[in-house]
Amino acid sequence: MSVQQIVSIPFLLGGFFFFVAATVGLLRFPDFFCRLHATGKGDTMAVLLSLIGLGIYEGFSLTSLKIIFIAVFMFLAQPTSTHAISRAALRCGLQPWTREKG
Amino acid sequence: MGNFFLLLGMGLFTLVLLCLYRGVFGPGVLNRIAGICAIGTKTLVILLLMGFIYNRVEMFIDISMVYALLNFIGTITAAKYLEIKGDV
Amino acid sequence: MTRVTDDIIIRAVSRVLIPFIQLYALYVIMHGHYSPGGGFQGGVIMGASFILYLLTHGLEEARTKMSEIKAGVFSSFGLLIYSGIGLLCLILGSNYLDYGKLSTILKVIPAQARSLAILGVEIGVGITVMAVVFSVFFDISTGGITPEDEEDLGGRDG
Repeated sequence: MSVQQIVSIPFLLGGFFFFVAATVGLLRFPDFFCRLHATGKGDTMAVLLSLIGLGIYEGFSLTSLKIIFIAVFMFLAQPTSTHAISRAALRCGLQPWTREKG
Repeated sequence: MGNFFLLLGMGLFTLVLLCLYRGVFGPGVLNRIAGICAIGTKTLVILLLMGFIYNRVEMFIDISMVYALLNFIGTITAAKYLEIKGDV
Repeated sequence: MTRVTDDIIIRAVSRVLIPFIQLYALYVIMHGHYSPGGGFQGGVIMGASFILYLLTHGLEEARTKMSEIKAGVFSSFGLLIYSGIGLLCLILGSNYLDYGKLSTILKVIPAQARSLAILGVEIGVGITVMAVVFSVFFDISTGGITPEDEEDLGGRDG
């Protein structure tokens, strides 16, 4: 196992951990806005870590530059789409969930 | 290393099936849009892992880039439509 | 779908991303013979970038960038490139899309002439598909009424 492979394994495992956290959040949170928190932030971090790990595994070549390009695009585009959906939900009149007293 | 990628891919596929629950049963259309966006993000990582397993990375990178683009444009289109229609 | 979104975040981000999407579409058209892609796929991505501009910046501003008339002209122009290459092979004395005969004009070996002509028809297909995708979305969002029709209706009513 070369150095590249050993260095890329923690990145991939970290990405998988964030994916699991985001999915558990999507399933278990009580309200739409809480679920959007989970999937918007968790998925972005997970994709970033996974793609960096795969780029390190590949070495320094044209392919790894393309993978970094995909990572930068996801870093810009995923929070924007999360913002667009939450703005549409607020315009539709969806009220945030509050914990009842007692 | 191929086995490690295969296990990771199978784990991610299980997560996709779990997200599909929110995509089918989400109360209201907004939950379904969030579920589909999450499925799209996981799919693009699965595509790259498949490229590494089969040793044909150059082919699968272009496909996953296009899928990221279409995921972004589709989510913005659906959100814009709901904002104007005004009904959840 | 055609109102300007009053959200500055989506407009700024799409203004940054749209040129790179178009550059990627050109890359997909050019590398069709080697990686997944080709004329049709690149044209769809290019049309999708115009649709993103229309969604975020409104109908009027998108009309200044690419109107319905220009979309029609572009689709015909792409088809002209495709059938023009075929007719050029016919004029030179061979069958309709027999690219090997182009080597007499281009002064290269027939195999390279075929490769260049295939790239040429892919570019034509890409231009046509981009124009048609954008024109279909325009028709759906305006209901098929062009600005000239609106002037006619306004003049007739009063």
